Formats: sequence, C-alpha cells, structure tokens
Amino acid sequence: MNISRLLLPVLVIAALFSGYFLRAAFTKPTTTAAFEQSLVNSENKTAILTCIVEGVKCKGTANFFTQLFTGASGIMNLETFASEHKVIFEYDPEIITSDDIRNIIEQKITFKDGSQRQVFKCLSMK
Amino acid sequence: MKTRYLRYGLQTIILMLVLYAAFGLGSRSFEAYCPFGGMESLWGLFTTGQFTCALGPLNLSMLVGILILALIAKKAFCGWACPIGFFGDILNKISMKIFPKRPVIGGKLKGWLKLTRYLVFFISLYFTYKLGELILRGYDPFYAIFTGFKGHATLGWITITVTILIGIGSLFIPMFFCRYLCPLGATFDPFSRLGLIKITRNEETCTKCFACADICPHAIAPHNFEKVRHRDCTNCLECIDACPEEDTLELKLTI
Repeated sequence: MNISRLLLPVLVIAALFSGYFLRAAFTKPTTTAAFEQSLVNSENKTAILTCIVEGVKCKGTANFFTQLFTGASGIMNLETFASEHKVIFEYDPEIITSDDIRNIIEQKITFKDGSQRQVFKCLSMK
Repeated sequence: MKTRYLRYGLQTIILMLVLYAAFGLGSRSFEAYCPFGGMESLWGLFTTGQFTCALGPLNLSMLVGILILALIAKKAFCGWACPIGFFGDILNKISMKIFPKRPVIGGKLKGWLKLTRYLVFFISLYFTYKLGELILRGYDPFYAIFTGFKGHATLGWITITVTILIGIGSLFIPMFFCRYLCPLGATFDPFSRLGLIKITRNEETCTKCFACADICPHAIAPHNFEKVRHRDCTNCLECIDACPEEDTLELKLTI
C-alpha cells in the first residue's frame, strides 16, 4: 500500500511526543532515604516539599545530597530525581521549616583539602 | 518540494530544542532526552530498581517510543530526528562538494567495519553496568560539543582527539559516526529489519541507473532490492527524490 511521505515526519513527531509523555510511567527516584524521625514523629502531620536543586545531577551527587540530611531532625523521607534535579522531602513542619531545609541545602561544605564551598543551590521550592 | 528540505526542517527544530536544553534553558539536561540512555539504565533498573548515574525516566520512555517507531518506520528517528545524524548528513553534503571522489569502502571490509558499532554498543553497556557510570560520555563528541568541552565526564585531550577524528572521518566517509560508531543504531538494527514502512522498487520500470545508490548516505544500493529491508535504511527518502523514473521507488506499507 502506497504511503504519503508526510506520514514519516508525523510518525517521528508522534514517537517523540509519546516518549516524552510516557516518562511518568517510568518515574523512579535516583535515591531514597527514610530517616529515624519517621518512627519518632509518625503521629504528627507531615508536609511535602518539592525542590529543584542545582547540583543534584547524578547518582553520586544525589547520594552526597542525601547525606547532608542524615543528622537533621524533622526530615522523614527524602527522594531525589537526578535527571530532573528534583528532590522531594517529607518532613515535620513543627520540627523543621522549609527555610531550615534551604539552609541545609545551601550550606558551605568543607572538603578534604580544607576548602569550603557551596555545592547545592535551591532554585525553587513548593 | 524535495523531501530533504522537510527532513532538514524537522531536524533543525529538534537540534534547536537540544541546544536550548544544552544551554541550560530547559528543566532538564539535554542528556535526559537521549534514547540510548534508556539502554544504559536497564541493568540498574533490573538489579536495584534505580536509574544509573544521571539517567532518568525520560531516557527510557524516549527509547520505548523510538523502538516502537522503528517497528513501524525502520530507522526514521535516525534520518528524521537525530541531531547527530543531521550533523553527519550536513558534513556529508559539504564533503561531497569538496571531495567529489571520495574513497569507497566495499566488499568484506565494509561488513567488518560495520561491526564496530556493536563493539561500541557492548563496551559502553558492559562498563556502564559494571561501574555505574556513563563511561561513553568521555568519548562522546556530541556530549563534548553540547557541554562546550566542560562536561563532568570530559576527558580533556582524549575527548578533543576523538571529536577531531570523527569530524575528519565524516568528511571522507558519509555518515561515519552513524555507520561505524553509533550504539543507538546498533540497538535499532534488529527492530529496523522488521519495520513495516519501507521503500520498494518496481523492477519493471527500474532502469538500474544507480541514481538511488549514488545519493544514498548509507551506501545502500536500493536498485538491488525489491523491498529495502536493509538495517541501515533510515527512510530518508533521498533515493525516491533522486529516482528519475516515475513510480519506481515508492514508500509502502509492507508486511
């Protein structure tokens, strides 16, 4: 059966769009972490905070980012999505605020050579 | 209108979108859209349930979308969308003007050289799976160019040398990267052979003038086939445009 040449670009565009919109079906976090506070404060109401963080760009940086919150009170769960530079926090707003979270993200980190620099920057929070 | 201009138009739009992402203007890195990233992520997803390194769901969904496309329209993604193929095509057209008589690789050497893309495919997947890092990035000229040679995994002079060699190779061998090095092309190969939409040739009207063979960027000889099932055919339709005989080369839905 003869086919119009115009069908090819139409099919290509359809494949690209369907690929783009299918992404939700494959979404998985790069790292996930559940902290001890989840047990202590399980009766409290929790809040969800989604941040776009410059610097979370691969599994290594996502792991490093997660470590920043290891000792922080009030953070229950933390999921990173490196390809989107996105981090989702589940936290107890009575213990920690979104400004506190931003401060932890944007803190200066001391490296082995003694130098200090800011590694992560919060671009948006909601 | 020649199909080529329609194809170049679509490829230009896609290249602009990639550059938009490469300049950091989009919400994701341009790498997030690479379908081969979907292949690289499979082992990590299978063993740990997580994406490897900087890969994400979009890599995988783009791969799925494009593999379905390959089952319908062969390697149409390569010929109509891939910015790397677009670069290769443009370099080929420039090179045709500068070096009208380029060396032709034929015979057994042609077949053996084509195996190199499977080598790139297996090496890149093996080390990505083993190390959890996207090892191809350091040798990928397009990663280097789109990151301005400042990307996280760029290997300095090695990356620059590989980029220059691929540029030189593209001037002398049409679609050099696509033919011999592209691991995504190797991924498509088995799907491409099954593609339903392909170019067909009417043996009765074909004069075997070789116009189709001369223009084909992948050195396929459509005049030798009744149906062009060849794994390298990207359905770019250059051969149909070049054919001087009416209704001889046609795009058809075949099973």
